Amino acid sequence: MPIYRFKVPSDSVPFEQREKIAVDVTDIHCGQTLAPRHFVHVYFDEQTEGGSEYPTRYYLDAINRAGRSKEVKDELLGKLLNAFVTHTGLSRDEISGRIGETPAAWAMEGGQVLPEPGQESAEWYAEVTAD
Amino acid sequence: MITYNCTIQEGVIPEEQRRILNERLVQIGARVLGVAPDDISVNYEVIPHGFGFRGGELSTSSSVRSRIPDGFSQEKRVEFMQAVQDMWMEVTGQTTAELVVGAADASYNNYQN
Repeated sequence: MPIYRFKVPSDSVPFEQREKIAVDVTDIHCGQTLAPRHFVHVYFDEQTEGGSEYPTRYYLDAINRAGRSKEVKDELLGKLLNAFVTHTGLSRDEISGRIGETPAAWAMEGGQVLPEPGQESAEWYAEVTAD
Repeated sequence: MITYNCTIQEGVIPEEQRRILNERLVQIGARVLGVAPDDISVNYEVIPHGFGFRGGELSTSSSVRSRIPDGFSQEKRVEFMQAVQDMWMEVTGQTTAELVVGAADASYNNYQN
């Protein structure tokens, strides 16, 4: 957690772009939150054309721990979408997205129940980065 | 009703292991949460190689996101997630660093499906 899923048309984002986007998303998320880098998951889901359930052809569907302010989430989402257009050359209005939330206590990663945002202790970091 | 949505990376978990995971996930849902096996379903999504990243690098991680009936205590939820995690690691050989387990209330509506 977090999990960032970019919904993209088939064959529209080559590997080199996906890799750069994934690195930027990781940098941005870790720069704005206290998540360890290896907790940041980025997927690219290729969509067939037509009948899209999303408002734009490219879409970021994300899930984060609940508990951050709307301002923080909006800023984070804006930075992530900007990173995507930087590497793809698309215009900003071709992608939109949302950050959904789940209570931290409802998930385990690194063998531990996730702490609430802002409650990450040094002991927790030591435990989840030990591997 | 329990629904498990498992996301795995292409080539990481062979079909034979997935069959065992299916059986064990149903067993855990029945044993820990008391849900009838017929009311437990397991879905898989396979991320093609080159389309999944963790920490900015190609991923080998799996996630098991489940929907469970409302009303369980946090203690029971953790027991359930721990059981799923331990079983998954035993069957697949993956480590805690390669696994995310979630257990959301069925009625919770801001969770990624």
